[in-house]
Amino acid sequence: MDKELMHALARRAGLDKALAEFPDDVAAAADQAATVVARIKAPEDPRAEPWPAMKPGDGL
Amino acid sequence: MNVGAEADRGLHYMTATAAAHAIAHKQLSPVELMKAHLARIEKLDPTLNAFIRLDAESALEAAHAAEAEAANGRLRGPLHGVPVGIKDIIDVAGLPTTCHSKILQDSLATADAVCVGKLRAAGAIVVGKLSTHEFAIGGPSFDLPWPPARNPWNPGHHPGGSSSGSGSGVAAGLFPMALGTDTGGSVRNPASCCGIVGLKATYGLVSRRGVFPLSFTLDHVGPMTRTVEDNALMLEAIAGHDPLDPGSTVAPHGRYRAALDRGARGLRIGFVRHFHEVDMPAEPEVTAGLEHVMRTLQMLGADVRDIRLPSLVEFGAVNRVILQSEAWSIHRDWLQKRPGDYGKLARRRLMPGAFFGAGDYVLANKRRLEMIAAVNAALAEVDVLLCASSMDPACRIDQPAEVERTYPRQARTPFNVTGHPAIAMMAGLSSGGMPLSVQFVGRFFDEAMLYRVARAWEQASGMDKKHPPI
Repeated sequence: MDKELMHALARRAGLDKALAEFPDDVAAAADQAATVVARIKAPEDPRAEPWPAMKPGDGL
Repeated sequence: MNVGAEADRGLHYMTATAAAHAIAHKQLSPVELMKAHLARIEKLDPTLNAFIRLDAESALEAAHAAEAEAANGRLRGPLHGVPVGIKDIIDVAGLPTTCHSKILQDSLATADAVCVGKLRAAGAIVVGKLSTHEFAIGGPSFDLPWPPARNPWNPGHHPGGSSSGSGSGVAAGLFPMALGTDTGGSVRNPASCCGIVGLKATYGLVSRRGVFPLSFTLDHVGPMTRTVEDNALMLEAIAGHDPLDPGSTVAPHGRYRAALDRGARGLRIGFVRHFHEVDMPAEPEVTAGLEHVMRTLQMLGADVRDIRLPSLVEFGAVNRVILQSEAWSIHRDWLQKRPGDYGKLARRRLMPGAFFGAGDYVLANKRRLEMIAAVNAALAEVDVLLCASSMDPACRIDQPAEVERTYPRQARTPFNVTGHPAIAMMAGLSSGGMPLSVQFVGRFFDEAMLYRVARAWEQASGMDKKHPPI
């Protein structure tokens, strides 16, 4: 992940302190997130439902 | 029941089933049993670090009470007087739930988790809280308030995780049974590394209430034991609907030992070879172990055929996105304010959730539904799946690069993603004397079938008789 983007996302997530104290760990986490999503094959049908299905609870 | 013979070979390796039977028939004192385990703990735990908190005084007190009750013919349940260890992310009233982390080292549980309460109601006695990876995700870490647990087959090796103390302690005879939790394989990994039996039941079968969450939709509580029968006995005690756990199911539960001795004859078994042959090529000894299990079950009369599922790499990615997104929602405030109070491994494994978008999470859950359908379709053709658990025997614990390399080389996460029940157990020993492993996977709520196949393999192989040389 681009360093500038990574810093912007980390700050947006409130990780300023981690960015200052553990920059390598934040960078490693960002890289991991960036690579893992690419391994998921998107369902061909855009209408595909996610798990779990919405179910009415006692309060609805 | 020959208690004398059990005592000769050490009460510490007596099974929970045998101990409960002997106590119920007044052939064994719960106090004698507890003292044998406490002596074993005193001798070995300085090496194994299975415990974060040993509660010997309360355990002995409970054993005396159990003895008095048994003498009067009042048994609390099928585990009366049997010691159990509890992973330290699960609440035990009056003891800290530290999650093996500085973040929670001063926390105190005011009530038992539902699963602990059920074990106590069945008569089990809690001996203490057990080591884990930090918040059940970190890894074997040396920068935490407590050292990591070690493998009794070779203390220089990793016991697997995150239910590390549970696996190490059960294998070493510190207690006959333990509770673990499994979000990406954390019951089945230590079961595989330590050569014991670990079950991740169907999602929702065991209440998660009172267990510190890692990932709400992937977390499972599971029994860890040295034998298949003990595992089924323990599951019978902890399964059941909990109306206050949003993930709990109302599905029927109950007699998991009923089909234990029906054998493998006539069963249809699907062998998921591509997991360990193509997706993540396993160590040759692991592959040979799996082939041996497969051939043994064939010889016992099972019909074995090959089955294909989505790739392990994709299963792993779906697991990671869901797990880390949900974990971020739990740890965000602490990671923002106290990042230095986490160990390095947990910090690195919990922060990726900050970088996923909502669309990533929904995408993973869309694919998850398709993966559930794929496993269901496979299990419409066969009664049970056979596949790898770990692709390597346990590596050395003091080599971070080896731990990092081998940790993701496993086939357990698919069944956290899909929620199907899965059991891991010993398949043999490597040339280096470390356990090899196998995994069986079943239909939703068909844990009895898993136990039947696992027992058939256990009886044919004698794996329940193998103990670490410690």
